[in-house]
Amino acid sequence: MHEFSIASGIVDTVLTFAEANGIGKIVEVRMLVGELTCVDAEQLKFCFSAITNDSALEGAALQIDTADAAVRCPHCGYEGPPKYWEGALSAAFLPTLECPDCGRAAEPSAGHDCSIKSIRYVRDSDPSEAKLSTA
Amino acid sequence: MSTATASRPAFTIPTIEASPEEIYDIELEHSLLEANARLAEENRAVLDGHGITAIDFMGAIGSGKTTLIARLVGKLKDDVGVAVFNGDATTSNDQDLVASSGVQVVQLATVNGCHLDANLVGKALKKIQLADLRLLFLENIGNLICPAEFPLGAKARIVVISVTEGPWSVRKHPHMFLGAQIVVINKTDLATAMDVSVDALTADVHKLKPDIKVIPTSCKTGAGIDEVAAALLAV
Repeated sequence: MHEFSIASGIVDTVLTFAEANGIGKIVEVRMLVGELTCVDAEQLKFCFSAITNDSALEGAALQIDTADAAVRCPHCGYEGPPKYWEGALSAAFLPTLECPDCGRAAEPSAGHDCSIKSIRYVRDSDPSEAKLSTA
Repeated sequence: MSTATASRPAFTIPTIEASPEEIYDIELEHSLLEANARLAEENRAVLDGHGITAIDFMGAIGSGKTTLIARLVGKLKDDVGVAVFNGDATTSNDQDLVASSGVQVVQLATVNGCHLDANLVGKALKKIQLADLRLLFLENIGNLICPAEFPLGAKARIVVISVTEGPWSVRKHPHMFLGAQIVVINKTDLATAMDVSVDALTADVHKLKPDIKVIPTSCKTGAGIDEVAAALLAV
């Protein structure tokens, strides 16, 4: 359940940012999670909702965008989407590091993201209270 | 040098865009794995400075990580300086097993954590004598999923699976293998009884990562241990 530590990281980061900038209510957090990470979106959402009660994040939606995997082959120079292992498991195609062109070992070049991209918040009733200087 | 708590990066706010109902968006580029990755690089620099190669041992509970490490320590300790960090959620059984061999051992109790992180390893590095060490074995928490996202500063990662985990352990945990350099298939003495093919497991690993070194072992009979020791010395 590393999703829990990642959810804690999100909450920590966003609440620190919100406090520093006088933001009282956040309605959405948008994340980018790479295809080559083993972060489960549903588990991450569950952990996030479980630890945001009684905070500026209460009820906030966690939107998770997926970043596609890409590989680069040091042998033939291929750059692009990985070769997928179809039928490895019933439900999922697994990205592999086998070069789609020459079949030798490629290296991952994209798909390891796990980051907060943006937050969406409600402005306080008195706009002058929102201090939007950089923290 | 930054620490885990001091490493929060400064935020930048490129755009602020108003929308109806007084809702605003803020771009907030912040990587959640970056703090650990940075600490891992710091650990690596400390290790490199002392000429120490750290190896991250990952694998499921019961795959034989501790026994394999104990075997390797027994084989290597008279020739090169070896130390072991044992990750375990709560117990110190593993530490006891390896400590009886007389090398430096630190127990890393993560309590509720499911993986070691670079911060814990960095703290443990301050607890041992680094001089004269050549190899440091980092035994990760028994788990085939989480440790993949948390580099520790090791020069190589080794995944230990065993035939008793059944025929599908590779395809069920692909991420673990993509980031590893060596795979050990342990308990080969039980392959026939388990009706699990070591060759098929090896083929699965190579399907995910064609160039990875796969070494079948049996910690019971000692088969393959020499080859693992040689592979670690060559990292």
